[in-house]
Amino acid sequence: MTEDLMQFKQVSKTYQSGDTRLLILEDLSFTISRGVSIAVTGKSGSGKSTLLNIAGGLDRPTTGSVTFLGDTLGAMNDRELSEFRNRHIGFVFQSHILLDDFSALENVYIPALIGGSKRKVAEHRAVELLERVGLADRMHHRPQKLSGGERQRVAICRALINDPDLIIADEPTGSLDEESSTGIERLLLELVQEEQKTLLLVTHDTQLARQCSTVYLLHNRTMRELA
Amino acid sequence: MKRSFGFWLWRNLLLARGESAYARTRLIRSMILVALVMVPLVLALIFMDGMMRGITDKYILLQDGHVQFYEREPLFDDPNEFASIDERIVSGDYVVAGYGIIYSRENTAEVRVKGVDNSYFNDARKKQLSFAGEPLEKQGNLASVTVSETLAKSLNVSLGDRVAFMVVPDSSTAVVRPVLATITACYESGYHELDSSLIFMNRDDALRYFPKEKNAYTEVLVTKNSVDALGEIIASVKAHLGKTVSHATWDVFNFTVYQNFITSRQVILLVFIMILLVASVYVASIAQELVQDSMQALALYKTLGARNGQLSGAFFSAVMVVTLVGMILGVVAGIGIGTQLGVVLAWLGRSGIAGLQYYLLDFPVVISANDLIFICSSMLVISSITVHMTLRRIRRISPLELLQQD
Repeated sequence: MTEDLMQFKQVSKTYQSGDTRLLILEDLSFTISRGVSIAVTGKSGSGKSTLLNIAGGLDRPTTGSVTFLGDTLGAMNDRELSEFRNRHIGFVFQSHILLDDFSALENVYIPALIGGSKRKVAEHRAVELLERVGLADRMHHRPQKLSGGERQRVAICRALINDPDLIIADEPTGSLDEESSTGIERLLLELVQEEQKTLLLVTHDTQLARQCSTVYLLHNRTMRELA
Repeated sequence: MKRSFGFWLWRNLLLARGESAYARTRLIRSMILVALVMVPLVLALIFMDGMMRGITDKYILLQDGHVQFYEREPLFDDPNEFASIDERIVSGDYVVAGYGIIYSRENTAEVRVKGVDNSYFNDARKKQLSFAGEPLEKQGNLASVTVSETLAKSLNVSLGDRVAFMVVPDSSTAVVRPVLATITACYESGYHELDSSLIFMNRDDALRYFPKEKNAYTEVLVTKNSVDALGEIIASVKAHLGKTVSHATWDVFNFTVYQNFITSRQVILLVFIMILLVASVYVASIAQELVQDSMQALALYKTLGARNGQLSGAFFSAVMVVTLVGMILGVVAGIGIGTQLGVVLAWLGRSGIAGLQYYLLDFPVVISANDLIFICSSMLVISSITVHMTLRRIRRISPLELLQQD
């Protein structure tokens, strides 16, 4: 029997813009089981990123609740949410967001340091991950010396370093050319499978979405599963 | 548990690792600016403490002593007997003092006359004076006086010249007449405000002009370390004498000078605090710049799970290290320059600037550890408050800001 990792219960999110109240998500309820890969597709502005932010503990729902392994994220204070993000979530953003002042290796081990790992231990794990993604000879390079695809691979390693339960990826191939995109898609799915991670992926790329175990379409503030 | 990240971030902030040359220059510039604030403060402190202590020493050693016992006859026949009462007593001299007017061919000056004998100029006092001629030397029947170089210059007289001296009568019925005196020695104390009106005379001569009923007393000096124990020393002298003798201590008969010093010191320390407040605003601006330049990194760290406390702690300690290093550099430079103050003051002394008569141009460099600690800890406390307030900004940085840039 698969374990429920995260549950969305009647989650709604509204933003206030001046006098206008914008309803982004309405009454979303779904469950993410451990080990699955879920793709969320939808038009730009449909609320996909908002959904990921809520799932990653970066934003809070206006109504409803999100639970992670039985703990309600809304009940956590800032400190607990920070710890939740560090221990349980791995983020991969569209434009990698690496720190230019540090090498690929350092960028990868930052979450481990934040989590309290000793530097040597963190570095060892980071080296392992970078070797696995084929960046053994590029690990001491700064991000500006890496190609777009290489940077995204570094970002994937960073997402995996703390051995998180859930990988949240927001259009990870959105800023890459076709060739790099294919490589990154394959790498992400392979790693998730090998490491037995759960993936929550937002993408416009139907080909990538089709490779996930479940695909949701976010439309008109609500979500439905695609066959 | 999570100290490793804080330490890593702190070290990278301090080393400005990977940052632009501007970031590194900024850190060095910040340290230098903090040092530049500290240097004048330390110099002013050394100048103030040295000057006050020097002037106080001059007043005590040359004018009034630490304690005066008012007894018309000498308390002991042998001045050295004081040392046997209490080893903290350096000397006890029988002095006859009064006020007079001294006339030269060209000028007149009001003076305080101290009638002393040779034992008065002991080692402690000789350290404060330089002499030309033999002080208190008797030449013929005329009274001999020892005047300061300052007074000699204002009267336009020199060694061996004669001057007229007249006692200032202490009642309107007294009949006074001037007498002639020979300048047998000139002294230089380094503090013109004091020595321009202080002359020394042989005590036997002084006794001819000033009645000992009103003008004689015994002036006691104690060791430097015993100044705070004057009460005990006075009690032991009185116990030894076995009779009631009235007395006064240096801070009483120099009350105005003493109070002026204390007030000046408090005002100067207050000014120091104001300067430190302004400096701390600058220190806070270093923190603000660091945060401003690290906005994206801070949002990313937060996204990856860093707590506000970890981030603020690393930024706070980095800024405080910059402040501390700047402060240490400033203190060391200030002390280094301060030890050379004597050279500058001697040069100023030779320049003949009129206003310098109120300053002591030859004083020991005194570095008060307590005052230095007070200034440095004030700087650290004030800066840590302003930096802490500035770093509250980190709390307001949302990880979502990072994603909006994405």
